[in-house]
Amino acid sequence: MDRERGDGASVRLGAVGLCKAYGSVQANRNVSLAVKPQEIHAIVGENGAGKSTLMRLLQGVEQPDAGEIIVDDAPCRMSSPRQAFASGIGMIHQEFMLAPDLTLLENLVLGDEPVAGPLARIDWNAARDSGGAHAAQAGIEVDWDRKAGTTPVHIQQYVEIIRLLRRGTRVLIMDEPTSVLAPKQVEDLFDLLRKLRGAGTTVLFISHKLKEVMALADRVTVMRRGEVAFTSSVDDSTVSEVAHHVVGGLDLGRRTPTTRKSSSRAVEEPALEVAGLYAPAIDRSHPLNGIDMFVRAGEIVGLAGVSGNGQSELVECLVGLRKPSSGQILLGGMDITYATNRQRRDEGLGYVSADRRHEGLALDASIEINAIAGSQRRKPIQRGKIVNLGAMRRTAADRLTKLDVRFGSLRDAVRSLSGGNQQRTVFARETATDPTLLVVSQPTRGVDLRGIAAIHAILHSIRAKGASILLVSEELEEIIELSDRIYVIADGRIVGEASSGIADVAILGQMMLTGTAQDA
Amino acid sequence: MPEAAAALRERGIERLEKGIGLVFPFIAALLVASLVLLVIGKNPLLVFSLIAQEAFGSPNRIAATLSAATPLLFTGVATAICFRAGVFNVGVEGAFVVGGLGAAFVGFALPSSLGLLLVPTGFALAAAVSALWLAVPGYLLARYEIEEVVSTLMLNFVALGITGYLVNGPLLSEKSGNNVTPLIHESAELARLIPPSTLHAGFLIGLFVLAAYGFWIRRTPAGVESAIVGQNRRFARAVGISIPGTIILVMVISGVVSGLGGASHALGQLHRFAEGFSPGYGFTGMAVALLGRNTAVGILFGSILFGALASAGTTVQLFSDIPLDIVNIIEGTVMIFAVVELGRIALFRRKAVK
Repeated sequence: MDRERGDGASVRLGAVGLCKAYGSVQANRNVSLAVKPQEIHAIVGENGAGKSTLMRLLQGVEQPDAGEIIVDDAPCRMSSPRQAFASGIGMIHQEFMLAPDLTLLENLVLGDEPVAGPLARIDWNAARDSGGAHAAQAGIEVDWDRKAGTTPVHIQQYVEIIRLLRRGTRVLIMDEPTSVLAPKQVEDLFDLLRKLRGAGTTVLFISHKLKEVMALADRVTVMRRGEVAFTSSVDDSTVSEVAHHVVGGLDLGRRTPTTRKSSSRAVEEPALEVAGLYAPAIDRSHPLNGIDMFVRAGEIVGLAGVSGNGQSELVECLVGLRKPSSGQILLGGMDITYATNRQRRDEGLGYVSADRRHEGLALDASIEINAIAGSQRRKPIQRGKIVNLGAMRRTAADRLTKLDVRFGSLRDAVRSLSGGNQQRTVFARETATDPTLLVVSQPTRGVDLRGIAAIHAILHSIRAKGASILLVSEELEEIIELSDRIYVIADGRIVGEASSGIADVAILGQMMLTGTAQDA
Repeated sequence: MPEAAAALRERGIERLEKGIGLVFPFIAALLVASLVLLVIGKNPLLVFSLIAQEAFGSPNRIAATLSAATPLLFTGVATAICFRAGVFNVGVEGAFVVGGLGAAFVGFALPSSLGLLLVPTGFALAAAVSALWLAVPGYLLARYEIEEVVSTLMLNFVALGITGYLVNGPLLSEKSGNNVTPLIHESAELARLIPPSTLHAGFLIGLFVLAAYGFWIRRTPAGVESAIVGQNRRFARAVGISIPGTIILVMVISGVVSGLGGASHALGQLHRFAEGFSPGYGFTGMAVALLGRNTAVGILFGSILFGALASAGTTVQLFSDIPLDIVNIIEGTVMIFAVVELGRIALFRRKAVK
């Protein structure tokens, strides 16, 4: 019944001249948007371009200062998320909102349970039937009795989609839906979305990945500095044209990977050697089941894998935050298997944590402390037994300017910096001591396009100095672009190795998903 | 340029907020007390000026206030050093008491012929006993993650039990009734600074400890590290700071400072150990640390504020018909609002983590 509402409309969801300011920041300026029925529409833009603000306005979470929201060709005042939901607009957030301890079926009906009988008991059979019907329509299989928390992310995502469809959602808004998925799963999601489009659903999705946008979307809208910079049918534009608008006409100057200067030193002892490493699991992810790998001096080695296959455990073992149960780790030929983090750092280890907000930085501490932490016992900060406050300040400022971190005052909380500047702060600290091996995990997560380019440049410059990098990332493209050599990890084992020259997304993706080496 | 001006204004507001945050518990307490006074038909302004008079009105009264503030300097620092590192040590009370008994024991049990050596020996034993006392829950927390709030709180009762038994048994003074040890030798007594008042050299030691604390937190690597641990343990661990090491270190230092406080109180104020040695100095020290935001200057003002309330409280009711309870109400309200402030910070942190 819901499906028939607004049939024949030319704009299913749109905006005309939306403006929204937070204090002195104009987050949305005169934003107009028209999403046609049964269209897959992508919104692209850097962090802070105003995408999230627009989504909040469309969802009724916030009210615009000026302008109108259009639903089915008619102006519509979205006073609350509930109202948006009633108009058929549903959102799937980047972090899934399922209750981990409930089953998928319970999650499916949560908040809108089918009831039966005089006591209005929940009719679980009806719930199962409606879930099953939607799943069948989408051509997927769901084990409804599984707890959401133990379900793979792509299945969780399906359940969220079905949950919204079941409640009459006609416009599906998705915030970076592919950020947690493996390549094969991305393909499956796209198939599903195309199928939904065929069945009458409209999709609006936010993405950083232009290739995906071009592959999936019908139309693309680029936002920049709170304004719509560009909108076009995907067929009429190219990746480079869209990218051009995303960064505002700025030429990113995509670097071709520098030629490997390392080859001349390849005979040297490896910077890192790992042999037969076993370790217990974090939470529910896989333990390490005998990792063998090495990183040569002056080499960037990528570690590719679907998240939760042992990457975090391996990283923690390497940097000394987790005790392996057996195996050996050599840093520059020295056994550091059971060394403390500080001993490893003294031997030349640097560590850029995947969890910038909780491990890479102390958000409420000052920028100064975040820039020098770990060096408080090194010269020139420690002089004699005393901390030299002036030297501490100068060291912090030095490190930050070297990596072009823009900050107001050293005493401000590091929280006040943007994501890209925060990550540069981490790099500023971790590279200042000239490590021989830098373990880098998810370096560009939550960083905008230009920030990503800057961080990639930093990684290149570290290698140029002769240091080695182990790069752990869920962004396969990033790994392929930066790495000299790539390991694929699955189920806590290294299942494949490729040099970047012959690395192919499809082959790597298959190794990641199947856990077996392919003939490249 | 407008950006710079905005940043400047923001910093100004931040500073103002900080200032208001510091005096807010005190102002709130005065408001609550005013309300109570109005209800019982007293003029709050008159009462407050009388209290101020009694606390700071004459050199003698000031000396009494500083004398009352002396133990709080120690317990405030002992608490703050742990709170700063995110270790919620509420066992300063117990450490203060065992330290006091240790110092008193040196003062009366060792031969008086030791003379000038008695005082340093007393302080040293007190520091050692109390350091050991808090090292235990520190080790349990560092090694086995046993909640320090529970273990240190419980140890307070153990301290009261042990010292209560000792002063009623083996160490009971034969001359005076019960619950007290013999008086310490005269040579073990700390010098009185302004003779008629009880203000003694322990106050100066307290100021020295406070200054040392202020230096330690900013100018030593260990002090800087403990603040990082307090900000974010995972971060601290990832940059190579030993969490167990830091926990044990701050607990031991907290013990040493508590012990010095107990020694100062035993050798300077009571000249013996008695049951009820501390009327909750350890707990008031928590309020002082919270109120002073773990800064040396803040702890100084916090100690003097609570010292003033304590010294005024005892005499105000002698000279007027104002009930002593009013002073208690002010004290209690300051503590409550200081803790509320802490809760607000904790809540803010939790939100930030999410």
